[in-house]
Amino acid sequence: MVLSIDGLRKRFGDVQALDGVNMRVRPGEVFGFLGANGAGKTTTMRIVLGFLRADEGSVTWLDRPADVWPRRTWGYMPEERGLYLRMPVIDQLVYFASLYGVPRSKARKDALRWLTRFRIGDYADRKAESLSKGNQQKVQYIATVLHDPDVLLMDEPFSGLDPVNVALLKSAFLEMRERGKTVVFSTHQLDQAEELCDSVAIIDQGRIVTAGPTRDVKRSTGHQVVRVATSNDGDIGWLRAVPNITVTRAGRDYAEVLLDAGADPQLVLRAALASGGEVLRFEVADPSLEDVFVERVGALEQDESTLATATELQS
Amino acid sequence: MNVPRTLSNVGHISRREFSVRVRTRGFLIGTLLLIVGVAAIALLPVILSYIDRSETQRVAVHVAAPDLTVDPVVTIAAILNPIGGSGGTDDGAEEFTVEHVADLETARGAVVAGTYVALLDITRGADGDLDFTLYSNRTSGQLVALAQQAASSVAISDRLGRLGIDPAGQAGLFEPVAFGVAWADDENLDPIDDESATVGQDILAFGMTVLIFMIILLYGNWIAMSVVEEKQSRVMEVVLNAATPFELLTGKVFGVGAVALTQYGAIVVTGVAALLLQGTIANALLGDAAAGGLPPGLDIGLLVAFGIYGLLGFLIYAVLYAAAGSLVSRQEDVNSVVMPMNLISTLGYLVAVYSSIGLIDPRATWVGILAQVPFLSPFMMLGRITAGLATPLEVALSILLLVLAILGALWVASRIYAAGVLLYGQRPGIRAILRLVRSGT
Repeated sequence: MVLSIDGLRKRFGDVQALDGVNMRVRPGEVFGFLGANGAGKTTTMRIVLGFLRADEGSVTWLDRPADVWPRRTWGYMPEERGLYLRMPVIDQLVYFASLYGVPRSKARKDALRWLTRFRIGDYADRKAESLSKGNQQKVQYIATVLHDPDVLLMDEPFSGLDPVNVALLKSAFLEMRERGKTVVFSTHQLDQAEELCDSVAIIDQGRIVTAGPTRDVKRSTGHQVVRVATSNDGDIGWLRAVPNITVTRAGRDYAEVLLDAGADPQLVLRAALASGGEVLRFEVADPSLEDVFVERVGALEQDESTLATATELQS
Repeated sequence: MNVPRTLSNVGHISRREFSVRVRTRGFLIGTLLLIVGVAAIALLPVILSYIDRSETQRVAVHVAAPDLTVDPVVTIAAILNPIGGSGGTDDGAEEFTVEHVADLETARGAVVAGTYVALLDITRGADGDLDFTLYSNRTSGQLVALAQQAASSVAISDRLGRLGIDPAGQAGLFEPVAFGVAWADDENLDPIDDESATVGQDILAFGMTVLIFMIILLYGNWIAMSVVEEKQSRVMEVVLNAATPFELLTGKVFGVGAVALTQYGAIVVTGVAALLLQGTIANALLGDAAAGGLPPGLDIGLLVAFGIYGLLGFLIYAVLYAAAGSLVSRQEDVNSVVMPMNLISTLGYLVAVYSSIGLIDPRATWVGILAQVPFLSPFMMLGRITAGLATPLEVALSILLLVLAILGALWVASRIYAAGVLLYGQRPGIRAILRLVRSGT
């Protein structure tokens, strides 16, 4: 009863894009698909959607092969946004929905409702090219959900959005979850994944490094994180002396340390008290997804270049 | 494949392709200009004679020979305005009304004033023969020549009358003689007095071949451009989730094909209607029936053949143009990738042209074989049909081959398309394309 991705392999020329990808996405959850550019996120999504055929492996949804489900089961928002620039917004939304079998009159009504909700109702009859980038992205999102798909796959849905639109999109995500829809999105903004996702998977070089419920993934390293602040602002010489820890942040407001597996957080507290200052803050937490990611994969490069080049054919 | 869904999606896609194109101002204006142009060309003879009509000119005849047995006005009018001949309207000659005048001097004044273009004075000379004097503001030109011809005619009638031959007998004298023409070569079966019809048909077939060539080049390149446009604007992946590559490809081909059909259908219908209505329009405007009707040789059979080869030719090239367009990601690169299709269609067109003007012997076996090749037959068969070189069996075979080739091309094209539309960046080489065709995505 899941979206089950088993043993996907895909090679483009000399590049092994996917090297045995396994994932389980439970229906009704928000699932984060994390990885650097070129790690295989887009290729995996394209195989799930049937644009590409895997060299090996299978994809099933609710125990049936993904490709036997009607197209309206799937909603897809590609990383590179695309609209018919010279076509009026409402016309192309109705067109996209009609391809999924939605009657034109219903599609028009729903599209106008969505546009109004996203505060761009006045632009319905304008050509897409006359809209700002942010507004085009909202239209893109409407195009993805207008046919009411059960599974939404979105490639970097937050990239390029301003904070207001990010908030709008987040609320739309959560609403989809409330309605029992399954949302899978890829991102390299790990704080957003942490905020929204019930489960995550981290992919690197075509392989899933770790996957599962977000809390389990965060705990999977066996480390804990301690955030501590004392009245001796920024003086953390005492902290350096504590064994089995790594200082990951030495801010003037607070310091953050990563504990080695099995190390006792109370040792840090004792050292803080012994340092002579007043302890203003002491917090034991799971590592952030970013910590997990850095530990498992290495630093996440913030390269914005297109993922699509990963699928380039070697001639 | 889910057939109802495929049909409905192909319908949605072609409908979008059609309506976004037809709604552009450029298309509307272009088509309107074409229609007006075609109607103008088809109605040119009527228009010319209508323009001429306003210039109808009056010729005065003054007769100072009371014993004249013939009516010079009738004879002169007949010569100045030949009926059904080429001298009447086609070459821009004027139309004339001829009338008697009583007073020579008044009439000369009227010629100077422009009421009459000329005044013909007929007198009986001392030797008994008629003397003619033409008073005009122009002393040479076509009118003078015609007047002289008319004068001779009147004089001959007069001489015959004086010799005692009455007008009824004169008619017998000018009866046409029996005269026949035959081919020296007994094997030549071409119709003899149908020369203008077969020549007309050859020209028509040639014109239709040019039209087919234009449609394929113009709209084929258009299709390739629009595929690249969808890739470049990245809308391709959005529609790819909703529709299969096969649906996208056929929808695009049908949609653009419908645009071509609309545009060229409008032109052909306008042209044929204008030609058919020529007589009626001439009647209404000029009050007499000018030569009208379809050009010699334009029959339903030829139009149907044009429709079939035009449509099938468009389809086979269009699917390949679409596949070619899917292989590149920038519009600047389209030209290089559609080159093979441009070359093959130009080759077929040139062979058709060369064999129709006799540079290549159209009866040669290899030309007959080339005419069966699916990518060439749309250009070559029309000319061969009108030249009587294609048997019905050959026509049927070429159409069958064309249909089979279209199905094959559709299969190959949709495989290339499926992989090509996700391809960004570098253009794949020929080996990579072959691998795509073999393995699919």
